[in-house]
Amino acid sequence: MKIFSEIMVGLMFLFLIGISIGEDYVVTASLKQSMNDCLYLESLVQGESLLTEEISLAVDDLEYHWANNESGMCFLVNHKNIQEIGTEISKIKAYQLENELTEFRASIESIKSYSQSYLHFMGASLHNVF
Amino acid sequence: MLTIIIRAIVIYLIVLFLFRIMGKRQLGQMQPFELVLTLIIADLATIPMAEVAVPVLHGIVPLFTLVILHFILTVVTRWSPAISSFLSGKPVIVINPKGIDYNAMKKLNISVDDILESMRGLGYFSLEDVEYAIMETNGKLSVLPKAEKAPATNESVKAKVDPATIPVNLISEGKLMKNNLPVAEVDESFVADFIKDKAGAKSFKEVLVMTIDKNGSVFLQTKKGQRQTFENVRKA
Repeated sequence: MKIFSEIMVGLMFLFLIGISIGEDYVVTASLKQSMNDCLYLESLVQGESLLTEEISLAVDDLEYHWANNESGMCFLVNHKNIQEIGTEISKIKAYQLENELTEFRASIESIKSYSQSYLHFMGASLHNVF
Repeated sequence: MLTIIIRAIVIYLIVLFLFRIMGKRQLGQMQPFELVLTLIIADLATIPMAEVAVPVLHGIVPLFTLVILHFILTVVTRWSPAISSFLSGKPVIVINPKGIDYNAMKKLNISVDDILESMRGLGYFSLEDVEYAIMETNGKLSVLPKAEKAPATNESVKAKVDPATIPVNLISEGKLMKNNLPVAEVDESFVADFIKDKAGAKSFKEVLVMTIDKNGSVFLQTKKGQRQTFENVRKA
């Protein structure tokens, strides 16, 4: 029983290391992807119209990537902390169809801001611990 | 709802598993750091159980961390008596031949009533009966009675007795404990014949309990009958 306990404690220790590294990798990669998608989308919005094929495809990409990444992230982070990004993506889709440029840009900024602040929140710094 | 049910089962199994790893200790036998750990584990386990937005991992990771911490603390306390006494405290003599040690009482933050209550729990109702009483690190009182008040033992009265043996359970609530048969050095047919001869039981199902010890003392009670004891039973 003693050896079994020691082995299990060792496995738990490895599990904690694995889950910490995994969380850092998955969350950072997912949020950086949405950040990059937003930056790309921002670069496409130059004129007055949002009703272009390029923007439409970029919005679809943003939505598709987020849908894939969110399911993986939900294993690791509180869903409430990341659900705002999904909400903003839904708004972006609606604003694009209605060609509402100001709101569209505001939503992109919101996603960038959420992603940035969650990336800051990630990781074990003294600031985060306390 | 199904998610909550599955989460509750998962967390329950994990906590059960963790407590098995931590070893068999009852609440009253815990050292202070073990009690703290148990209280935190109980609280941590409930968070992901009811809150669906929180990943189960948010409950499992702190639980695992605490168990590892507990493991490290156990190793450290075994290795260093100084750290052990810092974490768990030291046993304190609260009653000595001069009487109750008031300073020790103040140090432990306990009252005379607490000491008397613990003494009564051990079967000592008068302070006069006690030579020494020690408050252990797990909060239990150990009592050394005065020689003249100590219970008589077979040795002290020079009585000849058979060596003590542990009774082995052969039948429990109608079920034959097959694993115990070799320990008791009997076989199934012996048990079946014995219950038929002595209690008229046609099957094991009719028996509530049957035990036997190395000296051949048998305790037998059927579900509908009264208890019977038999001495020097010859095992087949």
